[in-house]
Amino acid sequence: MTKTSAGKPFPWHILFFLGPGLLIYFSVSVYPLLDTLRLSFFHESSDGSLAFAGLANFTKLLFDVVWSEPFWNATWNNLVFFFIHMLVQNPIGLLLAVLLSSPKLRLSGTYRTLIFMPTMLSVVIIGFVWQLLLSPLWGITENFMWNLGLEDYFDAWLGKESSALVTLAFISVWQFVGIPMMLIYAALLSIPDELSDASVVDGANPWQAFFYIKLPLILPTIGMVSILTFVANFNAFELVYTIKGALAGPNYSTDIMGTLFYRTFFGFQLQEGSLTMGAAVATLMFLVILLGVALYLFFFQRRIKRFQL
Amino acid sequence: MADLKLTDVKKSFGNVAVLHGIDLDIKHGEFVVLVGASGCGKSTLLRLIAGLDEITSGSMEIGGEEVNGIAPAKRGIAMVFQSYALYPHMSVFKNMAFGLKVTGSDKASIQKKVEQAAKTLGIDHLLKRLPRELSGGQRQRVAIGRAIVRDPKVFLFDEPLSNLDAALRVQTRVEIGKLHKELGATIVYVTHDQVEAMTLGDKIVVMNAGRIEQCGTPLQLYQHPQTLFVAGFIGSPKMNFIEGIVKHISEDCLVLTLSDGTITKAYVDSSGCNLDDVVTFGIRPEHLTEDSSADVSLLATVTLVEQLGEASYLYLTLADGTEMVMRTSGESTTIIGEQVEVGFNPESGHVFDADGGALTRLRAGNTKSVAELAQIKAQLSN
Repeated sequence: MTKTSAGKPFPWHILFFLGPGLLIYFSVSVYPLLDTLRLSFFHESSDGSLAFAGLANFTKLLFDVVWSEPFWNATWNNLVFFFIHMLVQNPIGLLLAVLLSSPKLRLSGTYRTLIFMPTMLSVVIIGFVWQLLLSPLWGITENFMWNLGLEDYFDAWLGKESSALVTLAFISVWQFVGIPMMLIYAALLSIPDELSDASVVDGANPWQAFFYIKLPLILPTIGMVSILTFVANFNAFELVYTIKGALAGPNYSTDIMGTLFYRTFFGFQLQEGSLTMGAAVATLMFLVILLGVALYLFFFQRRIKRFQL
Repeated sequence: MADLKLTDVKKSFGNVAVLHGIDLDIKHGEFVVLVGASGCGKSTLLRLIAGLDEITSGSMEIGGEEVNGIAPAKRGIAMVFQSYALYPHMSVFKNMAFGLKVTGSDKASIQKKVEQAAKTLGIDHLLKRLPRELSGGQRQRVAIGRAIVRDPKVFLFDEPLSNLDAALRVQTRVEIGKLHKELGATIVYVTHDQVEAMTLGDKIVVMNAGRIEQCGTPLQLYQHPQTLFVAGFIGSPKMNFIEGIVKHISEDCLVLTLSDGTITKAYVDSSGCNLDDVVTFGIRPEHLTEDSSADVSLLATVTLVEQLGEASYLYLTLADGTEMVMRTSGESTTIIGEQVEVGFNPESGHVFDADGGALTRLRAGNTKSVAELAQIKAQLSN
């Protein structure tokens, strides 16, 4: 021990303040993650003992038809789910935020609360309510559309392979559109009024003011919203599980990574649960999200500068 | 020609009336400064001229054309904001070019105009930088440059120097003055700093509670404030006010008994005055001396001394409790608690009637600006 360090007492207070947080973080986040990664390299025999299996689980998952078909199906569905959010949820969120931030809008507080309300409800409730609303047997949607003269367009959307996934995505968009709206709204409010005034004096019309001045300034927030959407979508599970069950029907057309993982890990009906294969699916989910975030950070976030307003 | 004419302009936000009928006539090429305490409506008035807010009633003309309801960009005005309001994601060039770009100028003329304006302001080496890479003074210039390129009839400045440090403020003030002469443009300038107002303005408009209190050249306001408010607002430290009673009236002066018992003359237009009227006598701190041999002297106790170096401010209390400030030589050795005799020349006094209106001073000093004096001197030597 050197003289200088001998002079200082051990900084217990640092341990005291960081300890509780670190303990929780490690026990419920870091340890499960690392253990999942570890398990994905093992094979579980029928007596429950684990044996190291190298990359066998991953090979099986990616190349064995029995495993790879559901895996790629879920990945593709998940991508569709994500793109619908990106193309519908976030632009609508942006539009709502711009409307809300308009000083001419009355009752903007009421709108804000109402639009944000579904976000605060449980996904299970949302799923159940929408399942009832859209039900061809007892749902009110058919009657509602009939009143509008649109009865020819009604269909059992949730029950058809071609439309079930898109319908689920729209339900999710409806529920969560409040989040991009709130984040972008906050970003818009932080743009000083003088900047808008300056653009008005400069002769910009509202569109030009939006595209040349406001949009570039809220781009970092839009980037953040996109990455949050990506992570949330690839971790999604509850909505599909609530409405379509673990089998993600019809014929797996709504199967996403979350439901695939659930069936693999816990087993469902004829399928036996597997600790290690489940871990392998979870690891791939983790890698997909990691890759997505990394690509985003590398190609997008790096080029956006935050501007001091 | 870019005259600016406001007739009975009123503005209210909801039920709150902010401006109660503003009449103002600004000639082409004039530098007009709006001053007043915060909340007096001067910034609101500027925003109305800019067209950022709509006037509630009245009419506004720029260059002979009524501009009520016309979009800001079409009024031929340009505005420099207090926070500069530079677009943070655009380079200096793009900031300056933005107004031209959105109104559809072609690239070559934008390039030319921006470069010319940048050269005028000495920021041509900064064109590629972002606003955050600039110092406060440079940002200020970019903001002015953005206004210049649009070639406006009227420039509007909203407290443009308040974010600069003291030294830079003086320098930029001088530059704005020079720029005005170079461009020959009409400028409306809002400030609460009266040094800026006195030095820059051809004409100063003093506003108070949504009304124009007085409008005139800097020295007119200093020598002939028409109301108590203007008298107190123009000049720093502010004018001392002592209550007095009219004891004698002659043709060119009044004799007053001040509240502490001192008797003084005041050379003001005495028509309309009655004996025993209660009036307010005003005397500026710089017109008080520590010389006891002056025409009139007051006995006062020193309560505070501020030594500024080139001058010292003495805070005084008269026998009846009236508080006063005087500006004396920096060499003064007066200390707190001392009794001093403070003298003044009655010619430099002001008198205000009970309603706060000034009685015309008969022996006031020079009110002519440097330009006017130069003209007179040139005529004399011919």
